[in-house]
Amino acid sequence: MDGLDIEIEEKTIHSVIGPNGAGKTTFFNCITGFYKPEAGEILLENHSLVGLMPDRIVRLGIARTYQNIRLFPDLTAIENVLVGMHAHLKSSYLGIILNTPFVKREEQEAEAEANRLLKFVNLETKANMLSKHLPYGDQRRLEIARALATRPKLLCLDEPTAGMNSGETQAMCDFIQSLRDDLGITIMLIEHQMRVVMGISEIITVLDYGKKLAEGTPDEIKRNPKVIEAYLGQGSASQAH
Amino acid sequence: MEQIHAIWRYGIKVGIVGGIVLVLMALIGMIEVFTQRQVIADTISMGHTLYLAAGLFICYMAARRTTPAKPLWIISNSIFAGLTTAFFLVLLIILGRNVNLRLMFINASDLLLNNLLTLGVQGNNGLRLLLIAGIATGLITGFFYLLPKIVRTVILWSLAGSVFAGVLQELIRPILSNNFPEAISEWLLTSDGLTMKGALSIFIFIALVIISWSIKGEGIRQGWLGLPKKQQLTWRTIGTIILLAAILIAPWRLGLFMSEVLTIVGLYVLLGLGLNIVVGYAGLLDLGYVAFFAIGAYVTALITSPEIMNLNWSLWAAIPFALFFGILAGVLLGVPVLKMRGDYLAIATMGFGEIIRLLVLSDALRPFLGGSQGIGKIAKPQVLGFVFKGPQEIYYLIIAGCLLVIFVSWRLKDSRIGRAWKAMREDEDVAQAMGINLVSNKLLAFGTGAGFAALSGVIFGSKIGSIYPHSFNIMVSINIVCLIIFGGIGSIPGVIVGAAALIGLPELLREFAEYRFLVYGIALVVMMLIRPEGLWPEEARKRELHEGKANGT
Repeated sequence: MDGLDIEIEEKTIHSVIGPNGAGKTTFFNCITGFYKPEAGEILLENHSLVGLMPDRIVRLGIARTYQNIRLFPDLTAIENVLVGMHAHLKSSYLGIILNTPFVKREEQEAEAEANRLLKFVNLETKANMLSKHLPYGDQRRLEIARALATRPKLLCLDEPTAGMNSGETQAMCDFIQSLRDDLGITIMLIEHQMRVVMGISEIITVLDYGKKLAEGTPDEIKRNPKVIEAYLGQGSASQAH
Repeated sequence: MEQIHAIWRYGIKVGIVGGIVLVLMALIGMIEVFTQRQVIADTISMGHTLYLAAGLFICYMAARRTTPAKPLWIISNSIFAGLTTAFFLVLLIILGRNVNLRLMFINASDLLLNNLLTLGVQGNNGLRLLLIAGIATGLITGFFYLLPKIVRTVILWSLAGSVFAGVLQELIRPILSNNFPEAISEWLLTSDGLTMKGALSIFIFIALVIISWSIKGEGIRQGWLGLPKKQQLTWRTIGTIILLAAILIAPWRLGLFMSEVLTIVGLYVLLGLGLNIVVGYAGLLDLGYVAFFAIGAYVTALITSPEIMNLNWSLWAAIPFALFFGILAGVLLGVPVLKMRGDYLAIATMGFGEIIRLLVLSDALRPFLGGSQGIGKIAKPQVLGFVFKGPQEIYYLIIAGCLLVIFVSWRLKDSRIGRAWKAMREDEDVAQAMGINLVSNKLLAFGTGAGFAALSGVIFGSKIGSIYPHSFNIMVSINIVCLIIFGGIGSIPGVIVGAAALIGLPELLREFAEYRFLVYGIALVVMMLIRPEGLWPEEARKRELHEGKANGT
């Protein structure tokens, strides 16, 4: 990435688009602490994130999903979500062995919250299925449920509608909007489907070769000549309706 | 033409592999040694059973992978596998007749080649018999494969049960003579092996059990699920009490020899459960696990023995020290290997194990650790003047240790920490992205595992009284890895079953002991082929749930 300067407003849906290799996933990896930027700053509500370990960054409130779905395959759906809650649970090693009332209560509450999250993504009937046995659409939603379990302020979704048909895509769009509306989470979205990007984003940032090419509302981006030339192209311009 | 080739091509391939394996097994003398033990007295020996079972397994593997799965093709593949295997054996025998194989393979005796392998028939008739036997084995296996699953299960388990009963005479005999009337012993066993009637009775008994379970089982299970929680709890408690009672009176009902075997198995259960946490829960492949076992034993020795430090404290005093140093060592090992994964982690931990062994063996540290002469006169546990001397008493110490460790493993498994470990095992990067601190959780895993091993070391040191460096070699680590894989990684009952199978059986079958590692290897390969999740996997419960839901609940 090269001199990238992005500001994300709270409780908005902010999309990042660009051709393959433009640096979108790299951007996500930097924010979540997997890559360390050579220069520059990353601030979450004025708290610097550069150099922090990924697990610290999660505790500060940034969660993500992955382009290629990285669930824990041999754990059940509910266990996947419970792992997401790890940072917020306080049961200690000794407490667990002694099965203290605190631990018992915390486990019950955790299970209840996990079930609520699964219900939110319509997976409550499949709570005990191994995640590797779930169909593709369910896996995507489970990954989001797991990310939500970390109680994020900022949720980074990496191509959540990849491989979905139009009905599923529409459902996912509604779902993402409900995340912002009902849960007050700020969403950052990497997407290739223009319909989705134009349909639900409030701000769009366009990347190309690691640089910011343009930024603005969907209407502004649609009409931006640099963007049309570099990325949207003739065919996609008609797709954006 | 293509299709006809395909019918026997796979069978021949499997047969070639099988043939080579059987030839090797014969040449290393395994078959001959095993014939010394009779399964069914004067009828069939363990060697012949192994021979036959291997043949059947080879044909089964050929039948299993036949595509498309048409009956005719399955049977042909099976037959060709059997025939090819027999052909290799025939080649071996003919070679043995013309060349003195004993120059290179000591065990390629005349007895083996012209009697055992040819099932007792001499000369060229023997060779013909062998080829026919190969075809027959293939035919039987082929038809067997086509039988409905329930029939196959019944036959297989009943046969396995009878063979086991015959092979484990030393286990069964004292149980029968101590606890059941004389008549039953005589019906089932002779001094050599099972009686024919005995074998048949066992076969029929197991078959009946399986059949009645398959008919009634689902009903019983539904009935159980329908019971109110309180009644379930009552039944569970009764069951646990009975189990505990059986465990507690075992050494007195089973005799001295069996108690000794159970003691050794128990030590490995302790070790297995510890490694199960490191490898099974957290996914950290630790091949130097024996180091912590050694540390526990040596700390115990230094504290309780009059040699070296002359402290002469009681064994109970040694336990907290051994645990402390063991856990400390576990954490210290964990620190430098935090960023290593997979093979690199395995090699690094293997190195640590060797370092500890070399340290306790070294002359430089002899004044502190006893060197190659080890440390002796380790105290036995004492309570109010009563000394735990023999295997039957040490047994209780081990049971206490096992129960403690089982409890801790069970508590950790479904907890926040257990889930963090499982997540680390599945995908370390994503686990970190979920807020799991890799450093502290890995060190927790290493430390816990090391603590269990140190506890086992304490009991081991006390039990054998004198410890020597050569007891703490890498094969111990590898044995433990094998047994948890065999029993089912990550599963607590799996570790117990694995220990019973891979540690208990060689103690009961002396013939096994000589070919121990070969048998371990074969067992692992067979497991990977037919049941990679292990004998008693933790997922069994979940798979049941999954299948239940998939079947339209």
